[in-house]
Amino acid sequence: MPDNAGYMHAAYAVAATAYVLYALSLWRRRRALRAEEETRRQPERPAGGTR
Amino acid sequence: MYKSSAPARSSFDWLSAIAFVAVAATFVRALLFTPPDATQGPAQKILYVHATAAFVGLYLACGLVAFASLAYLWLKDERADRLAESAAEVALVFLTVVLITGPIWGKPVWGTWWSWDARLTLTLFLWFVVVGYLVLRGAIDDPAMRARYSAVLGILAAVLVPFIHLSVYLFRTLHPMPIVLKPSAPSMSREMGVTFVLAFASFTLLFVAFLRARYALGAERDAVAALRRRAAAELAEGH
Repeated sequence: MPDNAGYMHAAYAVAATAYVLYALSLWRRRRALRAEEETRRQPERPAGGTR
Repeated sequence: MYKSSAPARSSFDWLSAIAFVAVAATFVRALLFTPPDATQGPAQKILYVHATAAFVGLYLACGLVAFASLAYLWLKDERADRLAESAAEVALVFLTVVLITGPIWGKPVWGTWWSWDARLTLTLFLWFVVVGYLVLRGAIDDPAMRARYSAVLGILAAVLVPFIHLSVYLFRTLHPMPIVLKPSAPSMSREMGVTFVLAFASFTLLFVAFLRARYALGAERDAVAALRRRAAAELAEGH
């Protein structure tokens, strides 16, 4: 049997990395959108703020 | 007319978490508990990430892009356009995995990383078409025009899929014939077959989780865009 386990490990590492990176990308984009949405939905504070 | 919908919100994506656990379990079974092929050696186990990614990317994701694009052209419903967009982005992820893991498998088995044969070249071409689809969406501001143009491109992209599937029958290619998606019984042992079915199920679940998350992202993006437009309109009225 040929010894080519390195290729197998590389393929699995590439696949796992791609899926994890995409999941992180979805999470980060959604977090940024939610932050913007929260900011836009906040009622405007009176000028000068509160002390 | 461009119909709209309210976005769905959730604090934790349970489906994605379950999908990742299922994929991790598949990796463990494939790497540690499934016997390697006697001729190809351990590299044959790349099948469980390569062929399943191809199935999800080509048949499920690109098929859904075409279905949702047709639905948009018929119903002019924003949700169909968003579903097509989401499926196209997820298709790109799975097709990228196919195009990277394929050469990693090809090198030890064929002796070369790449061959410009029909199967490989058409898959690479489809990858570029899907990239073009997403670039097109980013280049058009008008939502209705963007949805209409990208629906046409999405359908054209999916037309490539049957040619990719049949390319190994129609042309002389280095790529082997299908071992599962064929009229006769799958060409693998029972243990390999069980691992392949588990891989198929877990990657399909991952596809559904990604699609759901990407769809929700699109819905929230559209809601934020509506808020931006409203703020701009209020600012214009103030002046």
